[in-house]
Amino acid sequence: MLERVTLERRATAPFWLSVATYLGAVLFALGLSLIILTATGVPRDALFQELVMEVFFDRDGLARTLTAATPMILVGLSAALCLRLKFWNIGIEGQLLLGGIFATTVALYDIGGAMRLPVMMLAAAAGGALWIALPLLLRLRLGVSEVIVTLLLSKVAFLLLQHMVFGPFRDPTHNFPSSPVLDAVERLPRLGFGNVHAGLFLALAAAGLCGLMVHRLRFGFAANLTGDNPDAARSLGFPTVRIMVVVILLGGAMAGLAGGVVVAGTEYRLTQQIGLFATFNGIVVAALARNEPLAVPLVAFLLAGLAVASGSLKVFYGVSEGIILTIKGVILLSLVTAQFFTTFRVTLDRTGTTERAA
Amino acid sequence: MTLAFLTAWAGAVPGYMTPLLLASIGLILCERAGVLNLGIEGIMAGAAMAGAVAALAGLQPARALAAGTGAGLLVSVPFIIAVVVFRAPMIPAGLALVAIGLGASGALGRAAAHKNFAGLGNVGFPEALTGLPLVGRMLFAQDAVVYLALIVAGRASFVLFRTRAGLQLRAVGEDPATADASGVDVQLHQLAACIVGCALIGLAGAYLSVVGSRTWTEGMVAGRGWIALALVVFAQWSPLRAIAGAAVFASADALIPRLQTLGVDVPVYLLSMLPYVLTIGVLVLFAALGWHRQGEPGHLGRAYIRQDR
Repeated sequence: MLERVTLERRATAPFWLSVATYLGAVLFALGLSLIILTATGVPRDALFQELVMEVFFDRDGLARTLTAATPMILVGLSAALCLRLKFWNIGIEGQLLLGGIFATTVALYDIGGAMRLPVMMLAAAAGGALWIALPLLLRLRLGVSEVIVTLLLSKVAFLLLQHMVFGPFRDPTHNFPSSPVLDAVERLPRLGFGNVHAGLFLALAAAGLCGLMVHRLRFGFAANLTGDNPDAARSLGFPTVRIMVVVILLGGAMAGLAGGVVVAGTEYRLTQQIGLFATFNGIVVAALARNEPLAVPLVAFLLAGLAVASGSLKVFYGVSEGIILTIKGVILLSLVTAQFFTTFRVTLDRTGTTERAA
Repeated sequence: MTLAFLTAWAGAVPGYMTPLLLASIGLILCERAGVLNLGIEGIMAGAAMAGAVAALAGLQPARALAAGTGAGLLVSVPFIIAVVVFRAPMIPAGLALVAIGLGASGALGRAAAHKNFAGLGNVGFPEALTGLPLVGRMLFAQDAVVYLALIVAGRASFVLFRTRAGLQLRAVGEDPATADASGVDVQLHQLAACIVGCALIGLAGAYLSVVGSRTWTEGMVAGRGWIALALVVFAQWSPLRAIAGAAVFASADALIPRLQTLGVDVPVYLLSMLPYVLTIGVLVLFAALGWHRQGEPGHLGRAYIRQDR
């Protein structure tokens, strides 16, 4: 099949081609999404208003978008850091949930006194790192694929969360399964702009530090090399295993921190919903940001706008939230499919490839 | 535990087992051809919704199952084209398929949610058989798909391990360069495996709504696709061993709600972790013993182009 098409792997893609492929994929996905949205009953002239003006240029909308972007930056960083080392972290949701559970534990048991909030955030990061440590260990020690293990641990974390909110953490004054509400000192301070809270600074600082690490530090250089070509990095004398451990644990910590930020910044309690689609969001953000930590905040901001828009689309036009999930899926699929043109050089071969293969 | 309890429990196992078995056979076919299909949860969600919509529209159960299967295949088409033709990285492409399947089924099925329909009944075996203690309900008070799934498992195993086509399929997943050199069309085999595999996964999803719950609610697949992914590892990529694996997982699934209704105080959510923890344990054990390559296709999850050879 397709005998006349010859593919060759490109060593590097020209800059213009990368840009064209990326933009082409995004525009294709956006075009398709707009068609889907109009087909589901959103009037065409309302699209710009709902998807752009309301969520990025309206005061309340912008505040909601920034609030939604905060955990998305962190899960995006988690995916990007892991992917830079070709580690498929399909368990971001689990790491986030552990972070949320750890932060809630610190809050409910009043650990840390005056330092409560920093301790909560540290515990959240530690929870995320802990939940990625086992798949990392199995991958490094036994060569077990991290894809299945992170995925399974994600489900284990969700069951643990359910156990906590239905059991030990259950708030008896509530009908919904959730932990009791956090005290004032256990909440990330609001910035006086809607529900935007100090977690946004945490997330931006994390993105900045990751960017600094990747672009400016010797360690980051070694990490990039380890991701691109582990054999070369090893033979050059870089401690590839140690690099891998540090970066991946950091990736888990980012996801954990996202859990802590959601609990202490927006929900003020542990609920069943805090990790919904976190893995997928992280992978989409990382794919759109092309694993570049400094691009993660912008991408997360734009995707958060989409999430916020889905709320008003639902209220005003009866568009299900599922549509937004579909649109994100279309964007991701379009992006990874378009990589074809930057990964391979395609030539149409009229003589067939049989001679060449011999 | 009384005999009645055991009989009822055993009788419930096949209903839990069948979707897991069908889905994992579908996955095994894809993975044996080298295609890692993380989109399974989305395929099942789409199929479950479509099956329910078809049944609510008055279609016979068998046709509703077929409609669901077709919908599962339809939603997989972009994924199959992306990974087989365009060699897109399989993991994000699969996750995108999950989002598309979950999202689209949630959006399109809203009108069908929480409505009951007749669904598929049991095969009419005589009372003498279904009334047997312990095994009567398990073996004879079941719907046709339960038996079909077992036949599919046997058939898939036969095709994979006893036919030329199966050998070629496994060669494509194990070492596509060698398969290609010996004249096997790698992409054609991947395409065929994915089409049959995704259709089986679709049937598994449709079973959940058309036969299992006889109603559709958003999110009703509830992680069964992920369990099937684990089951494939557990079964070492063999359809026959998948029967045993699915039986083990389904027994746990069927037991937990029963214990609750008996009033046994068990930490339900902690118990529900067992299949996942067990699978990780098995993975670790196989790896520690140096077995984890057994059955795992050598080129799983990686794209192949002829020039790599």
